[in-house]
Order: sequence, then C-alpha cells, then structure tokens
Amino acid sequence: MLRMPPFTVLNPSTVDEAMEQMLAAAGEARWLAGGTDINPNLKHRLLEPQALIALEGVGELRGVSVNEKGWLRLGAMTTLTEVAEHAQIQAQWPALAQAASLVSGPQLRNMGTIGGNVMLDTRCQWYNQTHFWRKSLGYCMKKDGTECHVIKGGSKCVAAASNDTAPALMTLDAEIEIASGDGRARMPLAELWQADGIWNRKLSPQELLVAIHLPPTAAKHHGAYGKLRDRGSIDFPLFGIAVRLDLDDAGKIAHAALCAVALQARPWPLKKVADALCGTTPGEQDFLDAVEQVAALAAKQCRPMPNIPGDHEYRHAMVPVYTKRTLFAAAAKAGPVHHL
Amino acid sequence: MAARDQHGPGAPWGKDFHVVGHAQRKVDAMAKATGEAVYTDDIQLPGMLHAKMLRSPHAHARIVSIDTSKAEALPGVHAVLVGSELPIKYGVIPWTPDETALAVDKVRFIGDEVAAVAAVDEDTAQAAVELIEVEYEILDAILDPEQALVTPEPAIHEDRKRRDNISKHVDLSFGDVDAQVAEAAVVIEEDYEFSSNTHTAIEPHCAVAQLGADGRLTLWSATQITHYVHRAIARVLELHPARVRVVQPCLGGAFGGKSDPFSLEFVVSKLAMKTGRPVKMLWTREEVFYAHRGRHAMKMHYRTTATANGMITGVDAKLLIDGGSYSSFGLVTTYYSGQLLTGPYDFPNYRFDSTRVFTNKPPCGPKRGHGSVQPRFAFEVQLDEVAHRLGIDPIEIRRRNFLGDHTTTVNGQRITSNGFLECLDAVEKASGWKERHGKMPFGRGLGVAGSMYISGTNYPIYPNKMPQAGIQIKVDRSGLVTVFTGGNDIGQGSNSMVAYLVAEELGIRPRDVRVVAADTDLCPVDLGAYSSRVTFMVGNAAIDAARKLRKQITESVASHWATAPSEVRMINGVVIDLQDPDRTMSQREAFHLAEEAHDTLGSTGSYNTPTLGGDYRGGSIGASPAYSFTAHIAEVEVDPETGRITVDKVWVAHDCGRALNPTIVAGQIEGSTYMGAGEVVLEEHTMNRFGLHQGPSLLDYRIPTSLDTPDIEAHMVESIDPEGPYGAKEAGEGPLHSTIPAIANAVHDAVGIRLRTLPFHPSKVLRALAEQKPAQEVQA
Amino acid sequence: MRVFRLQVNGDPLDVAAPEHWSLLEVLRYRLGLTGSKQGCDKGDCGACTVLIDGTPTLACLALPATLEGKDITTIEGLRPLHQKAGGQGVDPVQDAFDRCGALQCGFCQPGMILSTKALLSDNPDPSRREIQDALAGNLCRCTGYTQIFQAVELVADEVAGREPRKPAWAQAREQEIAAASPKEEPFQPEHGGQA
Ligand SMILES: Cc1cc2nc3c(=O)[nH]c(=O)nc-3n(C[C@H](O)[C@H](O)[C@H](O)COP(=O)(O)OP(=O)(O)OC[C@H]3O[C@@H](n4cnc5c(N)ncnc54)[C@H](O)[C@@H]3O)c2cc1C
Ligand code: FES
Ligand code: FES
Repeated sequence: MLRMPPFTVLNPSTVDEAMEQMLAAAGEARWLAGGTDINPNLKHRLLEPQALIALEGVGELRGVSVNEKGWLRLGAMTTLTEVAEHAQIQAQWPALAQAASLVSGPQLRNMGTIGGNVMLDTRCQWYNQTHFWRKSLGYCMKKDGTECHVIKGGSKCVAAASNDTAPALMTLDAEIEIASGDGRARMPLAELWQADGIWNRKLSPQELLVAIHLPPTAAKHHGAYGKLRDRGSIDFPLFGIAVRLDLDDAGKIAHAALCAVALQARPWPLKKVADALCGTTPGEQDFLDAVEQVAALAAKQCRPMPNIPGDHEYRHAMVPVYTKRTLFAAAAKAGPVHHL
Repeated sequence: MAARDQHGPGAPWGKDFHVVGHAQRKVDAMAKATGEAVYTDDIQLPGMLHAKMLRSPHAHARIVSIDTSKAEALPGVHAVLVGSELPIKYGVIPWTPDETALAVDKVRFIGDEVAAVAAVDEDTAQAAVELIEVEYEILDAILDPEQALVTPEPAIHEDRKRRDNISKHVDLSFGDVDAQVAEAAVVIEEDYEFSSNTHTAIEPHCAVAQLGADGRLTLWSATQITHYVHRAIARVLELHPARVRVVQPCLGGAFGGKSDPFSLEFVVSKLAMKTGRPVKMLWTREEVFYAHRGRHAMKMHYRTTATANGMITGVDAKLLIDGGSYSSFGLVTTYYSGQLLTGPYDFPNYRFDSTRVFTNKPPCGPKRGHGSVQPRFAFEVQLDEVAHRLGIDPIEIRRRNFLGDHTTTVNGQRITSNGFLECLDAVEKASGWKERHGKMPFGRGLGVAGSMYISGTNYPIYPNKMPQAGIQIKVDRSGLVTVFTGGNDIGQGSNSMVAYLVAEELGIRPRDVRVVAADTDLCPVDLGAYSSRVTFMVGNAAIDAARKLRKQITESVASHWATAPSEVRMINGVVIDLQDPDRTMSQREAFHLAEEAHDTLGSTGSYNTPTLGGDYRGGSIGASPAYSFTAHIAEVEVDPETGRITVDKVWVAHDCGRALNPTIVAGQIEGSTYMGAGEVVLEEHTMNRFGLHQGPSLLDYRIPTSLDTPDIEAHMVESIDPEGPYGAKEAGEGPLHSTIPAIANAVHDAVGIRLRTLPFHPSKVLRALAEQKPAQEVQA
Repeated sequence: MRVFRLQVNGDPLDVAAPEHWSLLEVLRYRLGLTGSKQGCDKGDCGACTVLIDGTPTLACLALPATLEGKDITTIEGLRPLHQKAGGQGVDPVQDAFDRCGALQCGFCQPGMILSTKALLSDNPDPSRREIQDALAGNLCRCTGYTQIFQAVELVADEVAGREPRKPAWAQAREQEIAAASPKEEPFQPEHGGQA
C-alpha cells in the first residue's frame, strides 16, 4: 500500500492540552480531524510532520447548538454528515447543509469534519499526486519545486480552494473561533484567506479552529449551493457557488451574497451582485433580469484556470449556468443544484 | 475426442434441465460475502518479505547506470533486483516478446519498471527504492500515434527486424469496396476517434512467491491466465516448468487487465529465489494505471456504401491504433480491429487497413471487447448515418442487413446460431421505440445499435494441437464430486458454471460439487479467461468429463437393479428406476456401486475448436466456434445548456445461447453495459504533455458510481447454439460493444448532433451544438 | 510501534503496530481480518469500508490511534453478530447479495454490504434513489450496480413481508429469481442428508 511517513499520534482531551502539545512540537505537528484530507496528503508525501495531534477526543470541538440570540455554533469536529442532516441547519442555513451534503461520498462525509473542510489544503492536478508522480516532473512550486505547471513562468501558486462548505459559510457571514498560543480569538471567516495557493489562510498551521459561529438568518432567508462535477458522488467541485438571498416582508430582495469556489487559492466572493439583486422580487421580471446580470458578472469575475482536473474553458462556460441555476434554486427554496 | 462431437444442446436426463436455467447460488458467493475468500493480498506466509518497485520517471531514456549499493545497505533490506538479472524477454504473444521483467537497457514510458527491493516490510522496501540511483540518457519521447507512424527514429524497440515504430500492420480486403462507390445510392465517409480507457478492476495487481525447501517455486498471482504465466515464469526464470506452480487465488476483477504476464510476477519469483523467503508485491492503484493494458486509442476512418433500400454494399476502414510502449496482445488487437466487424450484418465487400504503432505511453492491451469495441462504435454510428440519409428506421436498416444464422461472413467466419433479430425485437418492444423514437422533445432521444462477439477463438496463442480446455473429475465415497479446472474465475462465475454443468450431467445438486480451479499443479490446462472462451470451452470439457462418468454410474446401478442403463435416472442426487419409481438410492450409494464395478472413479474431458476461419494469413484470428449477438437501445437526456449527457435507461438484449444461470448472465450483461456507458460519458486514460498519466487514481480516473450508472434492463435471447455447452455462448464481453454507439445515436436523436470522438465530454456536446446552430439557421 | 486497544467485532484486542499504519493495514496485516479490501488506499473507492459505531467509515484513511474505545465492525463480524442475535446462517444482506447475483468478483462487496447494513438499519425500506445515495462511496466495477440495488430491495421486501420485486428478465422468464430454489438451501452446516 501507499506509505505514510512515520509519525506519532497524540490524543489530547482538551483544547489547552492540544495547544500545549502543538507548541511543544515546535512546528513539527499537525492537527488531525477526520483525516480525509491530511491522510491522503501524507500518503502523497505532501507533508511529513513528526506528530499528528488528534482532535477526536477534544470534547469542546464537538456539538451543534443554537444560542439564545439565534447564533449557530458548530464545533470544528462536527462531521459533514451531521451538518448536512441537521434539520435546523437545513431550515435556517440551507446553503451550508446543501454544500455539506455534496461533499465527496457518504463515508467521507461521516469522517470529514466542518473544521477540516474549512482548513482543507488547496488542490491542483500537479500537486495532489504521489511522490513518484511529482518527482517525475521535477515537482512544482507548492511542494519541493520552484516551477508552476499551471501558468508557465508563474510566480505565485494558484492551487484552488476546493472546500464546498467555505463559500456557503462566507455568504452566511460565518465567524471562526481560534485558539492559539496567545489564547482565544474570533474573526470573520472572510478575513481568513490569502491569495497564495501554497497556504491560503492567514492562520498558521499551529492555530486551532475551535468552532464556527453563524449569525441567525432572516425570516425570509433563501440559500442554495450549486456544484459542478463529473460524477454524482466522490468528486471535488469543478466549480461551486453559494447563494444567499434575504427577502423583506414585501418579498423583495433586501440582501444578497454569492461566493464561488474551485477557482483559485481563495473562496471567491462575487462583487457588485447585491447591487443587481437587491430590490428585485423573485418570480418577477426584474429578478429575471438581475439573474442575467449576475450571471454575466460571475462569468467576468470567475476565471477557472487549468489548476484542478477538467477542461477549464468548460468550467468557465458553466460559471453563468450554475450561477443562474443556483439563484433560481435559492429563490424557489430548492437546491442543491447538482446534475442529478 | 472433443466434446463438440458428442453432445448436443439438450438436457441430459429427459427433456428438462434441473440445474441449468434455474436460479442457483454461486459456489463462492458466500465466501466472498463473509470476508472468508482469500485474494492474493490476503495471503500471509511465515517470514514473508515485501517488495516495492522503482519506476522510470522518463518517458523514453537509456539506462546508463544503476547504483543499488545504498539500498542494499539499508537495514531490513534482503535483496535488490535489476533488469540484467532477468534479461529474457517475454510477451503474451509468442511472436512478439518485447518485455523484460525490469528494464534492461531502456525505459519506454513513465512508470516502466526499473528495479525492485525486497525487505522486511513495505516501509523499508519503499525507503530502499528511493535510495537506488539511476543515471539516464534521455531520448525523444513519441506520444502521438500520428507522429509514431512517420517517425522511425528513435525506434522505441530497437532490436526488431523493422526499424520503425510500427507494431503491426494488417491490410485485408474481401471483394471490391471501391467498385461500390460509383453505384451506391449513399456513401458516408467520416472520421471517428476512440480515446484510451482502462479496466479499473477494484483489486490491484498482487503476487506472492515462495521457493519451497523442495526446490519448487509457487507463485500466487492475481492473474486471469495462469497457464501463460506458468510458461512465462519457467522461461524467464530458466526453471523447469515442472518445478513451477502458479495459482490464481480468488480474483477481484480483471476485464482483460490481468491477462498478460506482469513484471511483478517475475520479480517476486526471482526475489523469493534470491532471498529464500516468501515475497509479496502489491501494486498501488497508481502502479495499476501504469500497468494498463487497457483499451487502445484508435483513429478510424470509415466509408460505407449502400443501396437506396439501405442494403450495405461495402465497408472500407482505415485504422490507426495507439499501442503504447509494448506489444502485449497487439498482434491480435490489430486483427480484431477489422476481423470482428463482419456481423451481425452482411457485408458483401469489406476492407480494413489497421496499423498499430508504439508510443512512449503505458502499454495497451485487451480490455473487455478486445479490439472490436472501437470499430463497432464507428460503424454503428455510420450505419445510423446511412439510415438517416435514406430515411429508413435505424432498427429496420439493421434488420434488412441481417447476416442470418448458419452462414459464413465475408471474411470467412463460420456463424452458427444467431439470435440478433430477436434481440432487436426485444429492445424495440421494451423501449417503446416505435412510439417514441424521433418523436420526443428536444433534449431527449433514443438510439439503437447492434454487435457481435466471439465465444472463444480457435487461435490458441501458441501453436499446439492439444485441447484448449481440460477437466478432471474425482468422485468421493462421501458423495462429493470434485472438479479440477484450469479455468480462471475472475468474478464472471466460471467456477459456478462448472459446478452447474457437472451437477446437471450427473443428476446431483451443485452444492455436492466442489470446484478446484486455476492451480497449475492440480488442474488440467485451460488457456485462461480471455476472448470470452471459458463457458464455451471449459463448459464443453466439463460436460464431456461428466458424461463419461455418468455412463459408468448408470451402468453400475442398472446392473445392480438388473435393468437397462436407460431406465436409470438421477435427479437432484436421487437415483430412480424409471420402471419402478419406488426403487431409489442416493448418489452416494450409486457412487459406491460404480466404484465397486470400475475401480477408483475419475474422468477427464476436454474441448478443442473445430478447424475454423478463412483460408488466408490471419484468417483464424477472430474465428470462433460460436458468436454472441447484442442489441442495445439507449435513452438519453442532453442538457443543451451544460452539454451533459445523462443516460437514463438502457435496454439490452443479448443472445447468449442457453442461459446456464440467468442471474449470472444478467449480471454480465448489466456489468458490460455499465462499463460501456462509462466509456462514453466519463472515462479517459490520458497522458499529459510530459507523457505522464494525467490522474492515475480512482479519484481522477472517473468510473461511474451508483449514482451515475444508467437504469439497465437486461433481456436474454436464447438461440441455443448447436455446439455450445447445452447450447450456451458467451455473455461477458459482447454486451459492452453496442452500448457505446447506441448512446451516440441517442444523442443524435435527442439534439441532432453527431458525436464521433469519444468520450462525449459535455464541452464537446456544447461545441457541436454551437456549430449546429448556424447550420440550422442557414437551412431555415 | 504502539499498542492499540481496539474493540473489533465485539472482541477487545491489544494490537501492536506502527503508528502511521492505517486501520486497514492493522486489520488486514496484524489481525488477519483480510475481509476489508484495499482498492486505492486513499479514500477514492470504498472497498475498505468498515462500521465504526455503526457508521460506514473508510479504514484506509482512519488511524487506529483515534479509534480506541469505539466499536469496529468488519465484514467478518456480520455473520457471528447475526447468529448472536438469534439469527440463522448468514446475515440477510449477505444472503440477498448472493441470491441476486450481486457478488461477482466480490472485491467491493465487504464494503458494499457494510454500507448496506448501515443504510437498512436507519431506513429499512429505502427508495432506489436512497440506495444509490447510500452506496455512492462504494465503487463496483463488475455489476453495474443493478443487482446490488436489487439485493438491497430484496432485503427490504422480505423485511416488509412483501412480494419481492423482480427484474424484467426474471418476470419474462416467469421464474422466481430471488425467492426461488436457493432460498431452500440456507447456508447451514448440514448433518446427514442425501449425498
Ligand atoms: C476522495 C475524496 C473526495 C473528496 N471530495 C471532497 C469534496 O467534494 N468537497 C470537499 O470540500 N472536500 C472533499 N474531500 C476532502 C475532505 O474529505 C473534506 O474536505 C473534509 O471536510 C476534510 O475534513 P477532515 O476532518 O477529514 O480534515 P483533516 O484531513 O483531518 O484535516 C484537513 C486539514 O485541516 C487541518 N485541520 C483539521 N481540523 C482543524 C482544526 N480544527 N483547526 C485547525 N486546523 C484543522 C488539518 O491539520 C489538515 O491540514 C474529499 C476527500 C477525498 C479523499
Ligand atoms: S481503499 Fe479505502 S477508499 Fe479505497
Ligand atoms: S463485484 Fe467486483 S467490484 Fe463489485
């Protein structure tokens, strides 16, 4: 079988203990959640830590709850199956439940966690390969090499954020609770990302995501997630888009947000879409016009590159199609948008 | 004498079958369902070492030097092996031995095997592999078959008679195709392209070898051709074949992907000899992609001429076949690419010109429907084009051109039973074709296609006059019957088939038959699981052997009861006197009587094909004792906005002769159809610009999941072949072929585009739709 | 090397293995439970599916160090568990897979059967689409899935006491497929008998 590099596994039971172990390892340890991303990456020798700190036994990282102010708290170790099947999430934060339901296949959703999904390593067809494979090419910039095979002469790694739940969380204004050597902190998820495919987060690998907090959604919140992929299961997104539409009492859109994924290093919030959508009424002509406008904006703002597998021109052609379909699904309180 | 001369397709006892045709359990299903079945990687031997392979990172290079000293010095390493230690060439086809266990002086694709290490565990073996230092001199790599055709240098194989990169060329002509053009009411001439795809059995290749203290080498391998592996091992390791035993444990799928001798089989054997310890090598999924032997990419040019009534007058084909880096079955592939197209329709004139070239890519070989799936796609799409041009219903044009049964094809293949018309009827009716074809809204369509395939071939790979399949039967005093067969059960159920046939013939229940298979020390030779030959050949041999035994048993019982042998009947393990039905005995008592009368009971049976094939060079390649026939109708939905093709439903009717176990036959039909559907919409085995496999994993090479598989409705047409075992023919490969063109033709019905390049990625659909639009506007 | 205290098929087991080995390697090569198969070793195929506290999980991506205290069920555990619960022969899912022809090469089947077990324990009467969804992480290359779906439906039909659904070809043959003769031969040790 594939060989993992040798490591030890630590099993802390509290966040404090976990942090102590992480600091003691002096940069040589990584967090292990469901292991569905890090283990294949270890088997590909994309990293060789001396220790994995298993979050499995840390109670504080578990659980889904809604506080008295209506905020949703997702412990980082909540599995994607739990997120996808949670009735209240389906009702109040539907784009998130839908996105989680389309990650990979059933076993991986049982294992994979929401924390691991947010912290997912970026992906690229020149990177997510075995050591032998990468070595045959003289490696790439993201790991062990200097060249980028996606963009000849490129100076920046363009591996793609490929986490399905990230765009949904972005449109829902998620905040993340972080533990580090300096204690706890909370920040908007939108501020987490940086445009570097080698490491697309502003947090170091030693910082711990404890929980994700989502503000309550409006009474007339509509959300949906659309995912382009080849098969009905298992595959990562070739393009993903989350839509949020909040309606006022009159049924007009009062707030709108769209965020895409599987393009480049960061999840990609679409600009100027609220301007187009706000004030229109789903079901009416003005909304239809706005949808066309947003689809055109999306096609302009989302430029798939040949980083992940699949024909990138085709992925680009699908940007407006999936954007539209997901907008319509959200308006109709339907979704997810998936080819099945 | 061969079985075909002795028994017909009828039931052995009276007019009804008691086992065959009825629902039966498989002999090995419960072992598989409970985890008890032992596959190759499940074997653990005391003191066993683990081996890993070093592979070439270059597509084409000369090996200047190999330094293994650091690897050998690593604690836990027992042996390092390089190519010069196993220099003898092999290849499954004896005329084209161009492989060595490990590269001797050259590497020919990225992933080619270079060296191997045996160590105490896989971790150590892998670490040692990474310590081997190889110096390469890089050569120009040829990745494009068109380039290979016109580029003799550098020759990928240098020590052949011809100094070029042509692996095989076949040019055969029957009648005069060119003369038809002038008189034809319609001439359709188009290019078609089939890209490569691969078997993707879920079990990766694995082999374990042990050199016994008695000096005998045993090799357990995930192979579908034990006999050829046996021969190859003896030759390459320079061992007397009587000291080599090859065993195929339970096999986790093959589809043609395990029908060559593979590097790891020689390597573990040699390492076991070098170390005196058992050695196992398990390939990773990535390595399986490099081993490949999958479907050849083909560029195909077809020209069909027809009369105004839609009668085909000539078919002219020119094919360029991308063989990858080694010959494998390439000689046969090249013939099959033309020889197997001459049914189920009558071609009065036919020509094909096929050229297989070498390229610096993983070697292609036989994948389910070897060599004939690609031309079948091209031709069945072209036939649809002919039908459209002439305004003839696509099913009707296929009926009109029907070849018939008990006839001969234009290239001299003898056809026996032929249920193709019934296949067409069955799918036409089940699909509601008449009411729906051509009448559904834009985006939804139905398409039809037909095909034929061989049930084994009379070409035995290495020339010999011995039987192609043999069976031995042993009878125990307990009442158990043990059958020994060299046949390889690769999941298709051939061991169960043997049990059913022996049980039917002896009038006992299948559970009283034990099958011992695919062990060269214990079992008589069968050539292996390829060319859809096992049911036909091993089945006939099994009936042959069991019938001899039956004679001994019934005679013994008859003499005991003082009646005629014809009055003795065995059904489900009970022996009855037909004159006095109250007089019965158990099979066990009958066996005892027979053993008293005849001494220790045992029997052998065999099968060999009759002399078949056209009287010309290559005329026996593709000549089969019987052909299966298939018709498919596919219903697709095409999303004009995304270009995605969804295959909603496939109706498939297959003429399998007698369905020995209908459940198993249905499984073969469905599995074939599913695999074909995957080849249309998803699967593509491609190399990137470096010659490196684009995505050698089950994530990036996308085989259909449970959500992607079409709804498949299988129908069986039982034409009852006069020479098949109880009238059976093949079911394992034929039903793949016409899946692909049926889907292509359905896409045309749905949205009016002709796709001629596989796979049908949505981007191609969108492009074709965009091109079609202006054309329509012009028409309007 | 670390000693893991694992609970496998009801047995508490102390097993020493390198820490970087996956659960799959420990099951197969340390405990001899080779029923769990390996088709990719990185999460792409589902052949290694086991149940962890009843939930389908990929053993090739699970590390034993995170599984202490959890209940691991492999394919080898199914028949004993069924018999412990008073059942006869093999688990009805295993039986149905054979009767419907769902076991060809069998390599995907331990995983497939365990995913089916988990599905049916949550949802004893799933729709075709629910079956497809539940098995969408288990690749099968032999069957085209059709007979697998039929096997799951057969179990559901029998639990519900319904007439089993039959594929078109079986209806056409007017012959019982699933409920036919094999049912009369349960997989039990036989004493005496006819042979
Ligand atoms: C075949 C296959 C298909 C897949 N398909 C998809 C898909 O379609 N969509 C998709 O989004 N993903 C997909 N994935 C990836 C993965 O399964 C999911 O993203 C999953 O959510 C990852 O979570 P995990 O708990 O397993 O992460 P892990 O692998 O445990 O961790 C992932 C990374 O996050 C870090 N990490 C984990 N938890 C924390 C934390 N609490 N704080 C800080 N850092 C942390 C780890 O150190 C590691 O670097 C697929 C994976 C496979 C193998
Ligand atoms: S072996 Fe675990 S998913 Fe393939
Ligand atoms: S039965 Fe062979 S892979 Fe499923």
